[in-house]
Amino acid sequence: MPEQQAADGRPFDPMDAWRKMRDTYLDSWAKAMIETVNTEGYAKASGSMLDAYLSMSGPFRDAMEKAMVQTLQQLSMPSRADFVSMAERMSNLELRLDDMDAKLDRIEKALTKPPAVQKPATRPANGKGKGAR
Amino acid sequence: MADATVATDPITGLEEKLMSFTKAVTTRAAIAQTPKELVWTLNKAKLYRYVPVVKKENRHSVPLLLVFALMNRPYILDLRPGHSFVEFMIKSGYDLYLLDWGSPGPEDKDHKFDDYVLEYMPRAIRKLLTVAEAEEFSMLGWCIGAILAASYSALRPDGLRNLILLTAPLDFSDKTVTFSRWIDERYFNIDRVLQTFGNMPGEMLDAGARALKPVENGVLNYLKLWDNLDKPYVVDAWKAMNTWVTDNVPLAGGAFRQLVVDLFRNNELMRGEWRLRGERVDLSNIRANLLTVIAEADHITPACQSRAIMSKVSSKDKELFEIPGGHIGIMAGSGADKRTWPHIEGWLAPRSD
Repeated sequence: MPEQQAADGRPFDPMDAWRKMRDTYLDSWAKAMIETVNTEGYAKASGSMLDAYLSMSGPFRDAMEKAMVQTLQQLSMPSRADFVSMAERMSNLELRLDDMDAKLDRIEKALTKPPAVQKPATRPANGKGKGAR
Repeated sequence: MADATVATDPITGLEEKLMSFTKAVTTRAAIAQTPKELVWTLNKAKLYRYVPVVKKENRHSVPLLLVFALMNRPYILDLRPGHSFVEFMIKSGYDLYLLDWGSPGPEDKDHKFDDYVLEYMPRAIRKLLTVAEAEEFSMLGWCIGAILAASYSALRPDGLRNLILLTAPLDFSDKTVTFSRWIDERYFNIDRVLQTFGNMPGEMLDAGARALKPVENGVLNYLKLWDNLDKPYVVDAWKAMNTWVTDNVPLAGGAFRQLVVDLFRNNELMRGEWRLRGERVDLSNIRANLLTVIAEADHITPACQSRAIMSKVSSKDKELFEIPGGHIGIMAGSGADKRTWPHIEGWLAPRSD
């Protein structure tokens, strides 16, 4: 029995029809969802969910932070705020270093620049210049 | 005949497919492989120079700087060997530089566009010009990177010869765009979010981007992988893209606030009212040759947000190039090396000598 073939010459795949149906369904679902998320209702609902999350997690977060700061203080260890302050000072130092680096680049460029070619002397009015020698 | 047994046993076949699928989803691809050297750093920002592969005498004399978004990794521009915009451009003879913003920490929560545009970029560009021994440069900004590039070009136009803006979100006058709806002040309390997190978490930004197309990103994306597990090229491409998509960085709180309030809500940039460190960002100061690339099916930066800049700039040489594809697909998709990259290179080449 010869192998069954689809019209385009490829071997027959019984799953092909199912896949096409699946893709058609998913495409229409995708389009519908894109429209759904671009509505005032969705924006309002997602905003409310975010607010609820922030309201619920906020107190825990604050309590955790306070407890952590106190613990670190008692252990004589630096807190996040100390690291942040240190990092900010480092950034300022980096800015200074960057300016110094740029100045050094300029100096290096000036030092390695080939000397300017001297302009030929203007020929004297009496014609006794270089060419007259 | 072990192979035949495997092929005809549906349970074993399914098991193997599941293992391949899990492996593809859970492992990271080798990305950003093009050799580069670090030439400048400041805080988390780094400027890289890609090692040229074309002799100096055959290279274009004007170097090119790539500026990507603040909240994603820039290696999307150098995704994988054989399919990398960076690789394509250095082979085309460009002295190529990449500005990587890095990942902001809690100490950077007050960083704003002011800092990025007027503190980091001028310094990085100063170094670039020194290293490249050049007087002029070209700049390519993509997505939020295009806001940075356009703002820099308006505030510090000297030395910039060519400006390329890819999928640039600049005009927020259309309030029916999905992001604009979501961050409307009636529904999105930015003060509360930033008070809680400091910086805008990368995961939240990613969730927002995915939610624009929930079925595509949550179902069809994985189904595409499942259907093509027997095609190594498709699997490799999928893994590389998935590695990039899941590698999120937070956005500095100050910059996020400006993006939401100044730009999305008040459209200050396009109205000529946006000020960075007191200086008005006047787009009519842009004189560089300009190429604006728009992705026709862009759901993150719809075409309407990128068109208006063409009439605002003073550039005499300007082109608007619209191309089929999505926000990322036009530069990293399978057709990018045949359509977008050659067009950008073809536009830039005669303007880079």
